[in-house]
Amino acid sequence: MNNKQLDLVIPVDQGLSELQASFQNNFYVNVLAETVNYRVFYDTFDWLLYNNGAVLEVHEEEQARRIYWRADKDSDLKIQLGLKQVPQLASDLAECEFRRQLTSVISVRELIPRIKIKIKRQPLVVLGKNEKVVARVNFDEYWYFPSKVRAGIVLGKRITIKPVKGYADEFDQVVAFFLPLELRQAQDNILKLALAESGTGTSEYSTRLNLFLDAEMSAEAALKQILLRLLEIMLQNSAGSIRGRDTEFMHDYRVSIRKTRSALTQINKVLPQGIIAKYNKFFSGLGKLTTPVRDLDVFQLKLESYQRDLKQAAQDQLQPLRDYLAQSRAEAQKKFVYTLKSPEYRQSIKEWREYLESPEPTKPPLENTDKEIYKLADELIWSMYQLALEEGNAITDDTEAEALHELRKTCKKLRYLMEFFQSLYPASRIRELIQALKGLQDNLGVFNDLHVHRGILKRYIKQSTDAGANKACKQVMNYLKHRQVKTRHRFAEHYAAFSSPDNQAEFKDMFVDSH
Amino acid sequence: MKVIAIYNIKGGVGKTATAVNLSYLASLDGASTLIWDLDPQGAASYYFRIKAKIKGGGQKLVEGRRGLDDAIKGTDYENLDLLPADFSYRNMDFFVEMTKKPEKRLNKLIKPLSEEYDYVFLDCPPSISSASESVFAAADVLLVPTIPTTLSLRTYKQIKKFFKQEHYDSMKILPFFAMVDQRKQLHRLIVEYPPSFMPCVLDSYIPYASEVERMGVKRAPLGDFAAHSRAAICYKSMWEEIKSHFYPTA
Repeated sequence: MNNKQLDLVIPVDQGLSELQASFQNNFYVNVLAETVNYRVFYDTFDWLLYNNGAVLEVHEEEQARRIYWRADKDSDLKIQLGLKQVPQLASDLAECEFRRQLTSVISVRELIPRIKIKIKRQPLVVLGKNEKVVARVNFDEYWYFPSKVRAGIVLGKRITIKPVKGYADEFDQVVAFFLPLELRQAQDNILKLALAESGTGTSEYSTRLNLFLDAEMSAEAALKQILLRLLEIMLQNSAGSIRGRDTEFMHDYRVSIRKTRSALTQINKVLPQGIIAKYNKFFSGLGKLTTPVRDLDVFQLKLESYQRDLKQAAQDQLQPLRDYLAQSRAEAQKKFVYTLKSPEYRQSIKEWREYLESPEPTKPPLENTDKEIYKLADELIWSMYQLALEEGNAITDDTEAEALHELRKTCKKLRYLMEFFQSLYPASRIRELIQALKGLQDNLGVFNDLHVHRGILKRYIKQSTDAGANKACKQVMNYLKHRQVKTRHRFAEHYAAFSSPDNQAEFKDMFVDSH
Repeated sequence: MKVIAIYNIKGGVGKTATAVNLSYLASLDGASTLIWDLDPQGAASYYFRIKAKIKGGGQKLVEGRRGLDDAIKGTDYENLDLLPADFSYRNMDFFVEMTKKPEKRLNKLIKPLSEEYDYVFLDCPPSISSASESVFAAADVLLVPTIPTTLSLRTYKQIKKFFKQEHYDSMKILPFFAMVDQRKQLHRLIVEYPPSFMPCVLDSYIPYASEVERMGVKRAPLGDFAAHSRAAICYKSMWEEIKSHFYPTA
């Protein structure tokens, strides 16, 4: 019969040394050298591992560094032999089971060290006949380190009793010694304790606006709240976007810029024209810097699926293209980072925040400044929906791709408006309307991506002299063209759902008749 | 889980010392490690101060009537367990042959341990038999300690020939030179210029050293009582080399 390790919690005011001395008086033990080790828990920026029950921790010991992985809460923590360092991205690993499991949880997100814990351990081994080790007992103290410069915070003390296989009776005797002390069995793991101590919320990050607007608040107050929240998301993602490996940071950063511009220009006659012009220009400039980075990110991520039908030789011939994409991405990223690190950028962000946080109302008020937000929201959404229908109804099989592009932009504006003002409407009803819109947007989005990716390939071929690579690129282009045609064919089906009489009636009821 | 068998037809070439020292080094890496003492002499069990006896005998274990897990004992070292020898292992061939698919027997017994162990070391007895064939099938790597002498090299050739004849994967065989006596010219010569039939011989070799013999007195792996001795350092470097076969990109 094999026993399970037992972790007991020692009250903070109880000294470990007295307990250890008492234990030593009762058992024949060998006291091993005290150790001080560190445990670093890695996770993504948005705590995907923790929230999915997975754990990736590094045990930093005096002469060794070990990496442990647990895929979900039902598995055991297993050492990852042969792995010298934690990968930044799952794709940094060679093909293996660990990579597959990691990818399924974090996808393309970057792993960063999140929590560091120090463990001072006094290990003891209990000896039996012939001085054979029959049980292990560790007296541990844990500290949490909030940052490199701040002192550790005591997390707690624990006694760990570890069985040695084949010596179940001896283990039971050790456990029996601690029973009268009525020590609590540890329920929470150390990471959970450290998270509680740090006040870190593992479900705090969201790209959703999660705003709760008061229907009767002024449009100006509501708009400033929306813009502030978007600024917050932008800033949460800037450090990761500057690091540049986790493509999701750039995605979220870019989307918050786009939403900011959309809010500034769509929710009009609320803020002074000068402010709108100034910051629209600023955010438009930023957005343009992110476009090539994001386009290349998406293309690089999709290339694997695009090339799947190609013969291996043709896939190999795409290597110069991959190098070109990596180099182009690095150049675009460099420009982006240069801007984000500039004093001008920091100053603009600072001024923007100050403006949004200022309680000063716009004087004199513009046409919509003091309007109750629910009225303005109704008007804006309804009119954007009408525009989407107008543009959508005009699309036939022969319509140029530009018209689809225009409709895509209009749908995006509509989606953003619905998200900005989501809290003003019954949750389930607006969610369903957004869902119907999302189906159409996905179709238009795929169509646009394929168009952009063909453009990237065209640009590559134009400057490349590698005949093999160009031939393989043309094969990929043909595949993209074929997919574009198929996607275009499916447009009608998605648009029909979006423009169905039921959906139109629901839009009308929500945004025209309800208030 | 990686299964590493330490095997040679010849006795007295340092199989047990290798199994004990390498399994100890594996456990120091934090790998959950098991050493199975398959030799009825029970030397590995002795080194780890565990009685060479299986309750109910070896036959029940091999036939699967008793789970391996019940017979496993923890050693004095964290992460390192031992499945002790039993004198009845002298009849191992008979036990194996009595089962349905003798050549796959050991593999079938070890497989359930893959959840718990990262490495299983098999300390094999010196022979070539049905039990050995079961080892050949189960092992990911067959470490063959070879003394750099004419007779030992001949034995190594016999193993290779047998693998070829019986269609075992000869890529599994990793020979290395053991008990190398630098005072002997032949030893030096063979280690420096290994014969062409040993293209994959490990770069690391184990010297003839009195510390290795002291393992029997101390009843412990070298790393425990003579971690800085030459032989201990050589085992360490050999373990790194073996790991590079498993994790080439690490």
